[in-house]
Amino acid sequence: MLQFLLSGIAIGSIYGLIGMALAISFYVTRIINFAQGQLMMVTVMITAELVSSGYPVCLAAAAGLVSSCVIGILSYLIAVRPILLSNRSSFGWLVSTLGFAVIVENAAAYIWGPTSQAFPPILNNISVPIGSAVLTGQQLLSIVAATILAAGFEIVRRHTLFGKLGMATAADPEMASAIGANTTVVAIVAFAVSAAFAGIAGLLIGPTTFANPYLGDTFGTYGFIAMMIGGGTERPIAAMFGGLVLGVCAEGANGLINSQASDWFPFIVLVVILIVSPKGLFSASNPLFRPRRPAAASR
Amino acid sequence: MKSTTDHQASAAIPASRAGGWRAVMFLVVVLAYLAATGYVAQSDLGLQNLVLVAAVFGILAISLDLVAGMLGLYSLGQGGFFGIGAYMTTILANDYGWNVFGLLVFVLVATGLVGVAVGAMSLRVSGLYFAITTFIFTLVLTVLATDMVDVTGGLQGWLGPAFPDFPGGLQWLGTPLVWCTMAGLFLSLTLVWNVRHSPFYPILLSIRDAEPFAEAAGVRTAAIKIGVFGVSAAMAGGAGWLFSFLGVVSPGQFDWSVSLNVLVMVLIGGINTTIGPVIGAMFVSMFPNVVNINPWLQEIVYGALSILAITLLPNGVVGIAKRVLAPLVGSLDPKTDIVAVDVATAAATLPAPSALATGSEIIVECRGIEFGYGLGPKVLRNVDLAVQRGHIHGLIGPNGSGKSTLANVISGRLTPHAGQVLVKGTRADGMPASSRSKLGLRRTFQAAQLVKELTLTQNVMVGLFDRVPRIVSRAALWPMLASGRRDLAAMHRRSAETLALVGAGEWTSRQVGDVPHGIEQLTQLASVCVAGPDVIVLDEPATGLSAKEVRHLATILANLKTQGVTMIIIEHQTRFLFPLCDRVTVLNAGEVILTGSADEVRADPVVRQVYLGE
Repeated sequence: MLQFLLSGIAIGSIYGLIGMALAISFYVTRIINFAQGQLMMVTVMITAELVSSGYPVCLAAAAGLVSSCVIGILSYLIAVRPILLSNRSSFGWLVSTLGFAVIVENAAAYIWGPTSQAFPPILNNISVPIGSAVLTGQQLLSIVAATILAAGFEIVRRHTLFGKLGMATAADPEMASAIGANTTVVAIVAFAVSAAFAGIAGLLIGPTTFANPYLGDTFGTYGFIAMMIGGGTERPIAAMFGGLVLGVCAEGANGLINSQASDWFPFIVLVVILIVSPKGLFSASNPLFRPRRPAAASR
Repeated sequence: MKSTTDHQASAAIPASRAGGWRAVMFLVVVLAYLAATGYVAQSDLGLQNLVLVAAVFGILAISLDLVAGMLGLYSLGQGGFFGIGAYMTTILANDYGWNVFGLLVFVLVATGLVGVAVGAMSLRVSGLYFAITTFIFTLVLTVLATDMVDVTGGLQGWLGPAFPDFPGGLQWLGTPLVWCTMAGLFLSLTLVWNVRHSPFYPILLSIRDAEPFAEAAGVRTAAIKIGVFGVSAAMAGGAGWLFSFLGVVSPGQFDWSVSLNVLVMVLIGGINTTIGPVIGAMFVSMFPNVVNINPWLQEIVYGALSILAITLLPNGVVGIAKRVLAPLVGSLDPKTDIVAVDVATAAATLPAPSALATGSEIIVECRGIEFGYGLGPKVLRNVDLAVQRGHIHGLIGPNGSGKSTLANVISGRLTPHAGQVLVKGTRADGMPASSRSKLGLRRTFQAAQLVKELTLTQNVMVGLFDRVPRIVSRAALWPMLASGRRDLAAMHRRSAETLALVGAGEWTSRQVGDVPHGIEQLTQLASVCVAGPDVIVLDEPATGLSAKEVRHLATILANLKTQGVTMIIIEHQTRFLFPLCDRVTVLNAGEVILTGSADEVRADPVVRQVYLGE
């Protein structure tokens, strides 16, 4: 039981990171970047490539993250900005970000071939017993990294000027730019940060999945589910909670139902949650957690 | 010269000569379509497959455009309905030996019902969340199709059923599936073309762009959204039925990327156009066969092209074509004559309310209305209001005093927490906004709620929704029905006349997005008057109007009053309002402080203090 819970939290924090990555870019631009999973894949592929050609893991990982950030910014400049400039309420970004994802994924498949390649184990070979359960060092690292990143993001968002600028841009981009905020810079930074979140998720899961150009599809979808379960469209950190719920559900289903159950069980959870609260479990509009009408207000 | 006379003729008798042209054009198109179908049905399998896949996706794209283009519901569930149709057909035909044509009916009904259920579920949220909810529907279906190996064959899927051959005498026609698919595409195109040429179209767009306006005109918007979504789902299911005859049916063919690709088709071809989705479907589905290079490079090119298409052609191929052809086509459109009508005399022909003023009858009454938004303080406290039939009743008060809230309570946008609203003695609180137009109650909005891309006349036609019977049920066949053509012409005429009456007659065929603010306000008024209401609630009708326009508005309202129309007018410009009003009610901080004649109100010391600023 403890084992399911802990390994669920470990994989969940990776889903949560990708969910947060989606939520961060959504937060500022109100679009879902369908290339988010592919941004994660870029870090994984570049890191694997550099390590196999003899560079140290740290350097390779840093280079991988930087390239994800660059491609993330490119995805904003190429696939998002022109659409939002012409018509903020159109759904054209659905097409363009998907097109961008197709380009990145197939470029990777073209360069490295469709098969998986080796990825450095990082901390995957270390076993850490916790009570009756055993986690790998990598799993532990995932939990720690996700906690730090999620908390750090929330602190920056709430307590720094730049974070507030992001909130202002999210609420009303025209007003934000009218009071002097450079909304383009805010959006570029948001896309870079979200690419970094996705890239870090890639570094954390890489030792288990190995480097594959189609990695982005699966993890992009799970990240999306994490965001929707949590309600990350309102607050990015809710996507992390959603990821943890998703991870624990998937691992629990695998262990308690059967080994294939993690393929479908999370979707059932998602559907149930969306029927109860269409904007996610941790959203303000969740009818289960809605604050009651204080008696004083209704005289 | 000849052509100009033609246009005037077609404007005068819209149905006859223009109709004749249309019929000839229609016949030519149909013959060309039949010839093309015949050619494909006789040709080699490669071409047939190319055309069949494009046609099936064309139907799918049309089904999406029906909800995305006309209702603004960006459904990503089309792939799911498509899959349901294909799997149902395959499984029921292969394992249970059902007749494939019987199955078509079954599939249409079943996917339609699933669509209604999914629609009812997802329409609790709108915009992006609707897209996401339907996206998840597709995601879940793909997972089920992959994991329920016993039923669906898992990842490998099943081989679809064989399409029955033509009977002996018709063998010369070639491949029957080609004929069937092309017939399906043709029917889908006809359906959306008919809807676009019916009065249902402006109503759909008003639901998309100005839902409160549609509701106030008596449209049950939620029911229509769910119904249209059901039709769209049934079309997607029908596309799935066709698709199952093309080969293997497996989860990969219906996953979320298919739903997104259908949206790509619609957006590239041109959203909210009849032919655009089909052009987009041809481009997307034929692309891999036409560009035959390394599969990864090919995908890269496809991705790049879709980004380019969406950034450079935000309105799609058809949008560009329309802009290029607009000067040519524009000259062929029948020009509406500019009707100069003297407002004072013409008012006599305004549709009269059902009963004439009978002295002191109370037509709208509010008793003890209480209302508050969310957790905040009460906005209306124990508000009583009685409006006599035939009166113009002014409603004034400082900002935040609850005037617009009261208008929303009367017109049904908001439900009071306590108290009663009676319209002609009938309890109306608790009724949805759309039911009040049947009681003869209409309203206008402070910020005009209109469809910018439609003409003034089309917007005014929305106001006739519950005055013309069976608009929704006839929409699919409208231009083909004699009654439809007659009713449309009558609605068009009546709307244009009403616009002329309010003084916007010169603008009838202009789009609302292109006219000045004053004309927008007059359009709103016309859309209300066109139905011949008994009571009109006007929320700040003079906002943003010039002094001259305000005087014009006062004349129109005074004329309406002579017709026996009762009006409740919320307004800040007392110089405009007081001369019109029989009674004035003053609200302050959610409470009625005074009801009386304009002179009494003007003389009241409290009113002078809180509102008139003395």
